[in-house]
Amino acid sequence: MSSHSDNNEEFHYHAPGLQHQFEDMKQQEESVSIGMWMFLVQEIMFFGGLFTAYLVFRSRYPMAFAAGSNHLNAFWGGLNTLVLIVSSLTMALTVYYAQKGNRNMQVILIVLTMFFGSVFLGVKAIEYTDKYNHGLVPVSGWNKRIKEEAGDHHEAAKPCWDVDHNAPVVEHPNPHGEFQWTDCSLVKLAQDHNYLTDAERVGYFNQGTGQIDANKFRDKVRIFYFIYFVMTGLHALHMIIGLGIMTWLLILAWKNTFSADYYMPVEMSGLYWHFVDIVWIFLFPLLYLLGRHFLH
Amino acid sequence: MQNVDAIGSGISEQPKLNYLTNGFTLKSWLLTKDHKRIAIMYLITVSLFFMAGGIYASVIRLELLTPASDLVQTATYNKVFTQHGILMIFFFLIPSIPAVLGNFLLPIMIGAKDLALPRINLLSLYIYWIGGALTIYALMQGGVDTGWTFYTPYSTTFSNTYVMAVGLGIFINGFSSILTGLNFIVTVHTMRAPGMTWFRLPLFVWAQYATSLVMILGTPVIAITVLLLAIERTVKVGIFDPSIGGDPILFQHMFWFYSHPAVYIMVLPGMGVVSELISNFSRKKIFGYEFIAFSSIAIAVFGFLVWGHHMFVSGQSIYAGLVFSFLTMVVAVPSAIKMFNWAATLYKGSISFDTPMLYGLGFMGLFLIGGLTGLFLGAIGLTVHLTDTYFVVAHFHYVMVGGQVIAYLGGIHYWWPKMTGKMYSEFWGKISAMLVFVGFNLTFGPQFILGYLGMPRRYASYPEELQVLNIFSTAGASVLGVGMLMPVIYLLHSLVWGKPAGDNPWMLPGLEWRTSSPPPTENFEKMPVVTWEAYEFGEESGLDLEGARNRVRPSTVA
Amino acid sequence: MQTSSWVPLFPEQASTFAWQVDALYAYLIVISIAFTIPIVAAIFFFAIKYREKEKFATPEEMHGSIVLETVWSIIPFVISMTIFLGGAIVYYNQFRVPDDSMDVYVVGKQWMWKLQHGTGQREINELHVPVGRNVKLTMTTEDTLHDFSIPAFRTKADVVPGRYTYIWFNATKPGKYHLFCAEYCGLNHSGMGGYVYVMEQRDFDNWLSGTESGQTPVEAGKDLFENKLGCASCHAGGADQRGAKLEGIFNKDVKLVGGQSVVADEAYIRNSILNPSSQVVEGFQPIMPTFKGQVTEEQLVSLVAYIKSLSGVTGTTTSSAATPAAANTSTHSNTAGNANTPASSNK
Repeated sequence: MSSHSDNNEEFHYHAPGLQHQFEDMKQQEESVSIGMWMFLVQEIMFFGGLFTAYLVFRSRYPMAFAAGSNHLNAFWGGLNTLVLIVSSLTMALTVYYAQKGNRNMQVILIVLTMFFGSVFLGVKAIEYTDKYNHGLVPVSGWNKRIKEEAGDHHEAAKPCWDVDHNAPVVEHPNPHGEFQWTDCSLVKLAQDHNYLTDAERVGYFNQGTGQIDANKFRDKVRIFYFIYFVMTGLHALHMIIGLGIMTWLLILAWKNTFSADYYMPVEMSGLYWHFVDIVWIFLFPLLYLLGRHFLH
Repeated sequence: MQNVDAIGSGISEQPKLNYLTNGFTLKSWLLTKDHKRIAIMYLITVSLFFMAGGIYASVIRLELLTPASDLVQTATYNKVFTQHGILMIFFFLIPSIPAVLGNFLLPIMIGAKDLALPRINLLSLYIYWIGGALTIYALMQGGVDTGWTFYTPYSTTFSNTYVMAVGLGIFINGFSSILTGLNFIVTVHTMRAPGMTWFRLPLFVWAQYATSLVMILGTPVIAITVLLLAIERTVKVGIFDPSIGGDPILFQHMFWFYSHPAVYIMVLPGMGVVSELISNFSRKKIFGYEFIAFSSIAIAVFGFLVWGHHMFVSGQSIYAGLVFSFLTMVVAVPSAIKMFNWAATLYKGSISFDTPMLYGLGFMGLFLIGGLTGLFLGAIGLTVHLTDTYFVVAHFHYVMVGGQVIAYLGGIHYWWPKMTGKMYSEFWGKISAMLVFVGFNLTFGPQFILGYLGMPRRYASYPEELQVLNIFSTAGASVLGVGMLMPVIYLLHSLVWGKPAGDNPWMLPGLEWRTSSPPPTENFEKMPVVTWEAYEFGEESGLDLEGARNRVRPSTVA
Repeated sequence: MQTSSWVPLFPEQASTFAWQVDALYAYLIVISIAFTIPIVAAIFFFAIKYREKEKFATPEEMHGSIVLETVWSIIPFVISMTIFLGGAIVYYNQFRVPDDSMDVYVVGKQWMWKLQHGTGQREINELHVPVGRNVKLTMTTEDTLHDFSIPAFRTKADVVPGRYTYIWFNATKPGKYHLFCAEYCGLNHSGMGGYVYVMEQRDFDNWLSGTESGQTPVEAGKDLFENKLGCASCHAGGADQRGAKLEGIFNKDVKLVGGQSVVADEAYIRNSILNPSSQVVEGFQPIMPTFKGQVTEEQLVSLVAYIKSLSGVTGTTTSSAATPAAANTSTHSNTAGNANTPASSNK
């Protein structure tokens, strides 16, 4: 192990891509691998904070979470799950072909991975737009404004649990783009069957009259949507970064950089991609699949 | 040329190039991959933040000379103590030892050329600068007044200050911490020189490793917490506002889940430095090496289980309080083990009282008090009376300043000759160490009493009968301030006029002393092969002690 | 804290469990000394005895000792467990609220404490309690976190928006004890305090039935303004204060939100206390709480007199519209030239 400042004459062969601080490729690979795993561990802790918030509020207000989750479209969510799983397959194959030094297959598979990643983001855009249109974005003013028409006739106010789920969906006026939620039928159901939590017994009801308070229930559903947007938004951000990494990888693969001797960047990018996939695998059931047995 | 197998001549020819002289352009510094240069840039930045935080501290102590809120307006005072806390904790204490001493020494101590990921190291520095710049900008625009703890709902709904900007600055800065920790873990795993087994590592390295574990696992949680805070503040919706169903105590749980381990991020490296100081200046292998190594890991792990002891009166359940109190008692034990081992190291040693050792001994005394008062605060029945009072302020200053800052100063003095090649004035070093010790006790000792009397924290004005104790405290602070400023002067002075230190001014066996001062860019002319145990003093280590004795040590009066 | 020494060390013990807290504190001090003295002595002793005799001398090798390590792990652990147990017992006493407690409801708000006895009496920044009775405080806050802390009783608890928190005590000694807010809550956190008055049962009953003390209206008004009602927290806060300036406004024109102008006479002042949101001064938010039901007519008279004194006006009331028909309204002559300076910006 000699330093490069030696003006010794011996020629040292460097594996391509060997960084100067490492003695050999094996040390570099080991270092980069531990580094990436440590990075993923910290990412898990990062998302962990959000999962904790989810845990706390779901255990307090399960009906609000069930109601909110029911409205998410499990089809799109499920499709996204499938898309990501397939993209992880193409990513794993990319690593395989990088090790084999097969440039063409690498390029095809990276492009496919990016394609699936983009599909994921596209579906997310569809979903977010749907939320925007239906007044489900938890921030005031960030929903579609629907003016009250002069001809709108207001029915006599019905209690919020008296909802006909088979009736056609009607757009409610939303002049200020507020978060809207009017269906508290799940609360009635839970109340009738006596499985409200202690927090729910206080949190959904008007303290004075003892009636279900539609606004209070709406606030709890809004918490569900807040957590939904922050978690999926953060996840989507990581996906976008992933696409950036894939672009970089594509350029390198196109230039035939990778071979059996040097493929760690592909493997490390693969680790990142799989991580993003796994986070979604957790997000999907926790956000999309709650409470479906109540109303379907 | 330095020959690593027969070191100990103490002074050798300076190699042609060391890391400081290897390039003088701004670009060679700002785009460097050399961990030593990065450490020096951290040193400068960290010192500036320390001085800024210290100015805030002076305002606090001056204001508290009188019971009324008369020096500055209360609104200003609220910003001053908040910003004192933020700058000191996030921008000074957390980076200080890892980013300055750890960056500089870790690779050398394990016999490596650099850290495993030098570009990540540089990125870490940039992120620190960006986070710091954003925070300073926000402070200059008007600052924050939420307390460094940002409790909701004050910080989300009621404060009219730059919460979001400062929060973002802290968020960004957190990644600097994470990347440093990540780098250290990888380096210790993969970059050790041949023969450098885990149990031959210096305890400073063990301490850095334990710290890095906490950095990686804990910091992301504060990141997400601050992010949620910033979002809630901007869009007015979130999970902490009770009027829309949220929970302000959840913020406290999430905040302290990081911020308690954060105090171990701050103190574990200090303990690592102290292990080095006590051992090396007694010229004796540390007593109970494995116990100290494992207790660092134990503190790192258990440190994640006690966050609720910051929330005993917050409204969390009584049973949670009892569990956290129990675990807090448990986490005190590894620190006690270290204290006994350090004392036992002194036994039958050959102790010299150079400035670094004075700091090391000072740490032992002050951390002892700080740690013991932590037990007071962990005893749940007692802490109901003490929490949110000056007792807590005194406790954490004892462990943070009396512990961490003293260790940091000790480390700076210890490794200064290695980093700069120059020796500072030992006379002034000793004077300022003593001033710091005395001033510190005078400042924070009375605060224990103030706390028991009930004086709450974060008060700009207080009942008149508490004034005498506050005056004592401020008087002590002036002594402390002088003691802290002196090193700035004589250390800078030594850069120009200090005597050349030589490779091994203290005649010690550690790997860092087996290369020149300052080291060359690749750390060693020839990479070492380690065949000796940690802390082997005496002739078997290859040190030419007799020869050194015959020379005058360079550390004479300036 | 009533303490007699020049450098006080302890607040008074004024509740049934205060002695337990102090005892635990004493125990911990003893333990701390028991650990500190040997370690510090050892450091000094070793430092001197084993100082280097010869430069770079190499002392004999010493191997670790499992026995020692075990001993000094187990002993601190056992001791820390005793501390835990002591703490748990005291905590249990502090927070197990007895059933037969007198109820007081506490609401914290920036920056005052509003209290109401179970019997209906309201207080601001003060709490009168009889000696020897169990008192349970049910507490919450209207805005940020605060903390209701009574050092002499050795108890405190945060108040949290959206829920109730509880403390209890049984006061053992009549006296006047500090009450502090102990959770940072913004601008006037240090001023958000007051006193707990512990009285003999007889005196407490007298107080409940509402006797007045012998003060002039301006003095009484000043006491109400600065201490009892907490007006100073918003109206004497300096440049950034949240409430309109009251110095020098009497009988002057005041511009209101909405554009109209009124004269700040006695009626205006009285109305501002009882119905503040109806006449908000331009440039200020309608956040002043109403004191209807919390001030008697006598107190209103005193407040008006005090606020008038802030404009240098002393003497009797002038406007006939000022005093409503109240049973014991009387004119008081103020001491001339009573230079009442506006309350300082902090307490």
